[in-house]
Amino acid sequence: MKRLVVISLFTLLFAAFIFVWNKSYESGLEDAYISLEVVNDNPLIPSESGVFERSKFALDYAKMPVDKNHQRSLNSYYSNRAYPGAPPSIPHDIKQDNSIGENDCLKCHQNGGFVQKFDAYAPVVPHPKMVNCRQCHVVEKTSKDFKSNSFYKNKPPTVGKNNALLTSPPIIPHQIQMRENCLSCHAGPSAPKEIRVSHPERVNCRQCHVPKNDSAIFKRSSYE
Amino acid sequence: MYTSISNRRSFIKKMAILSAMTAAASMFPGIVFAEEQLKDLPSGDLDWKKGPCRFCGVGCGILVGVEKGKAVAVKGDPNCDVNKGLLCVKGYHQIMCVDAKDRLTHALVKKNGTYVKTPINDALDLVASKMKETMENHGKDSVAMYTSGQSTIPEGYVASKLMKGAIGTNNLDCNARLCMASAVAGFLTTFGADEPMGCYEDIDSADYFITWGNNMAEMHPVLFSRMLENKNRRGAKIIDFATRTSRSSMASNKSILFEPQTDLAVANAICYEIINNGWVNKSFVDKHCNFSKGLTNIGYGTEDKFKFKDKATGISFEEYKTFLEDYTPEKVSQYSRVSVKDIKYLAAIYGDPNKKVVSYWCMGMNQHTRGTWMNNLVYNIHLLTGKISQPGNGPFSLTGQPSACGTAREVGTFTHKLPKGVVMNEKHRKLAAKIWKVPYENIPSKPTYHATEMFRAVDRGDIKFIWTQVTNPMVSLPKTKRYTNGMKKDSCFVVVSDVFPTPTSDVADVILPASWHIEKGGLYGNSERRTQYWQKMVEGPGDTTDDAWMTIEVARRMGYGDLFPYSKENHVEEIFEEYRQFHEGAKHGMAPLEVLKKESGAIWPYVDGKSTQWRFNAKYDPACTNGEDFHFYGKPDGKAIIWQRPYEPAAESPDNEYPFWLNTGRVIEHWHTGSMTRRIPVLHKAVPNAYVEMHPDDAKELGFANGENAKVVSRRGTCVLPVSINERGLPTKGQVFVPFFDENMMINDVTLDAFCPISKEPDYKKCAVRVEKV
Repeated sequence: MKRLVVISLFTLLFAAFIFVWNKSYESGLEDAYISLEVVNDNPLIPSESGVFERSKFALDYAKMPVDKNHQRSLNSYYSNRAYPGAPPSIPHDIKQDNSIGENDCLKCHQNGGFVQKFDAYAPVVPHPKMVNCRQCHVVEKTSKDFKSNSFYKNKPPTVGKNNALLTSPPIIPHQIQMRENCLSCHAGPSAPKEIRVSHPERVNCRQCHVPKNDSAIFKRSSYE
Repeated sequence: MYTSISNRRSFIKKMAILSAMTAAASMFPGIVFAEEQLKDLPSGDLDWKKGPCRFCGVGCGILVGVEKGKAVAVKGDPNCDVNKGLLCVKGYHQIMCVDAKDRLTHALVKKNGTYVKTPINDALDLVASKMKETMENHGKDSVAMYTSGQSTIPEGYVASKLMKGAIGTNNLDCNARLCMASAVAGFLTTFGADEPMGCYEDIDSADYFITWGNNMAEMHPVLFSRMLENKNRRGAKIIDFATRTSRSSMASNKSILFEPQTDLAVANAICYEIINNGWVNKSFVDKHCNFSKGLTNIGYGTEDKFKFKDKATGISFEEYKTFLEDYTPEKVSQYSRVSVKDIKYLAAIYGDPNKKVVSYWCMGMNQHTRGTWMNNLVYNIHLLTGKISQPGNGPFSLTGQPSACGTAREVGTFTHKLPKGVVMNEKHRKLAAKIWKVPYENIPSKPTYHATEMFRAVDRGDIKFIWTQVTNPMVSLPKTKRYTNGMKKDSCFVVVSDVFPTPTSDVADVILPASWHIEKGGLYGNSERRTQYWQKMVEGPGDTTDDAWMTIEVARRMGYGDLFPYSKENHVEEIFEEYRQFHEGAKHGMAPLEVLKKESGAIWPYVDGKSTQWRFNAKYDPACTNGEDFHFYGKPDGKAIIWQRPYEPAAESPDNEYPFWLNTGRVIEHWHTGSMTRRIPVLHKAVPNAYVEMHPDDAKELGFANGENAKVVSRRGTCVLPVSINERGLPTKGQVFVPFFDENMMINDVTLDAFCPISKEPDYKKCAVRVEKV
């Protein structure tokens, strides 16, 4: 009797094993199909991805004193871009030309902080998950053009008059695609002095500051 | 005080600012406004216009910011499935080239050795009369057109209709011959239907990405970033199989280097391992595959009027298996410089039934004297294992140019092609004649010149009139010097349509000023069979005209007006509607314009309002009709072919006199011959000139320091460039690499015009050179 129980127990265990093994094998064969995302027809609402994301080792901006000797200005911020919103070029030499960037760039540009070699604070990248940095950011190897060019560089938005009312929070006067993380440019020692916020501890920026989209005013659609 | 309406607005703004300042000053004593704060308010929002990117075959969706009729900014289209809002440095800065000071704004006609500014209508008159006169004196096969994988669909279509339908000559080829012909020949020989079966969405579900001789981090950066995202997020692996250590190799999980040309042997060794280890998907192969062999020792086409026609013979699986015995990993590793372990590693990835694998390739496999074979061999691997036409599983041939698929391959601007099918096929000729409304006898049944042979014919004096559009062959052809000299000869009248002066326009008799990308409307077709439409975004300067319209104007002046009844305003749409008739049906139906206007492109076959993402798979493709899971309907019996293709050496290999391999290619900053990207300040400043990459050991041996000038010498010519050691890329020992974008450092004077006898695509990746001190 006892032997029978032991045998049936083992048979049961064996059957269970076969069943589990089969099931896991079958599920391993299944297609990992990821369905297409539904196309969002309204491009006016910018993505919210990365808004609150801060690096684990990021500087605690709120507690940092302002280092007046090493401030960036909006002028130098925009002079490094072909047009407002263009990816900035890399204004310093880089060690490895055969690298896509990744940690070589992120070492300084993920968290920011003072870099002795350049006597400046490293600007913080708003999209650290994109690691093929040099897909968009290039080094300047010469200052001469191949042929002269008269491209009209659009004026960047200006500071201080983006609020609707005198004391209302300013709206966001620029495109924020790929720059959804506001604090990377607007807070900390590497932020251009004109646009550095006075309240970096409040990370929910878009609670009060909203993007400016179409200048058209609201109209009721008429029913006929 | 009187002010105009526009002034009034700024006046009110200034008043508002002033009053705000006064108010602020009274509320916060001591407040100071910075100088820039007094400048005008930004003048409202930009008008963002949708289109595909101009630079490369990925086909990213772009939004161009237009203000006061000028393009001032670019961003990625977040709603486009291709790139989801991301672009690369070329894409972000593309609009800047139109403002280059040396833009071609008016037609130029060469008179007594100098170019004279001419009204566009007079120039078109001259082109039409010259073309007509040449045909009358020397026959219709004395005129030729050479277009581009960057031509829009309407541009390619009217060129084909003019040459093949109206004039009745097959003297039409395009620069896609230099980049995609082997891919086409590969698809046609294996599947009987051109273009990839999968799509970019494969990236989101594959476990392994194996790249065959390409550098996606620089050439297809947006797709590579998508691969990296999958690598970092869910552990997908990238394996780089190449002849040079590039940015892609550095970012991959594993980099495997091979000796140039031995990719043929390694691919066969992988098939050997798959069969030897019993990893063949037997039911798939039995149901869906045939085995064939072709001719061997097929030559290299370096001589004029080279002819070759492959002959297929069916073989059995056993015969194929016996053939592969010459390609055991041990044997192959001896000459490929790939270790036995690495070959077995690659085979094991393809062989593992639980791993999804996508193979990517571009120019490394296509610009190859055995390019068609190489394409066949990678398909063999995927067919033997049944890893094809499923999400995350499949071979994917990447394209270089934005419409190499849409225009060159689908419209068919090759000498042997028609918008549907080939000139050799009577049924295809009849269909074209019907839609074009020309007599069926008009369309000749014999192909004439492919790209290289076309310029050889110019040099020989056989072609007496040539018109090039959207391309720069005097930088991009191999062994360029011969062809530049040929074009300079008086025997040939040369018309060049372009946006900027180039070495090709330098040899032209008439230069026609073309509109750039955003100055015209059009359609492109990208690598994943996506057709993309855009509308004109800004006005072009001076007399600039879009290429399709110039072709139409010339056709009308030649007396073919009835065949080109399009209107100037709407010709893009009218032409597309006419062209769509060619592809009606479940196998290649194209999305209607309404859909293309609304969405960021649609993938063909577009059937019942739906894009077909995976062809040949009954689950997704309504054209599958055999009742099985897969149906390779390109072939009459519905079966794909596994080809027996051997290893054969390159056309020219290093020897004592010329001890180095020369490999040419591109960099991320520049597009092809650089005529556009070098005029974009950001890009030119990043890579101002070409260079020759050497392995540090070779450089040391020859005594070169980084940046020192070196002379690269081959049997064809020489080129002097600065040496680059351990910078962007690192070639293997015994190999040098040169990017070809620089018209001032013409590496294509050095390259060899050997080509794949089946596809006629030249091999820019392999020839023998020596490197000398200057």
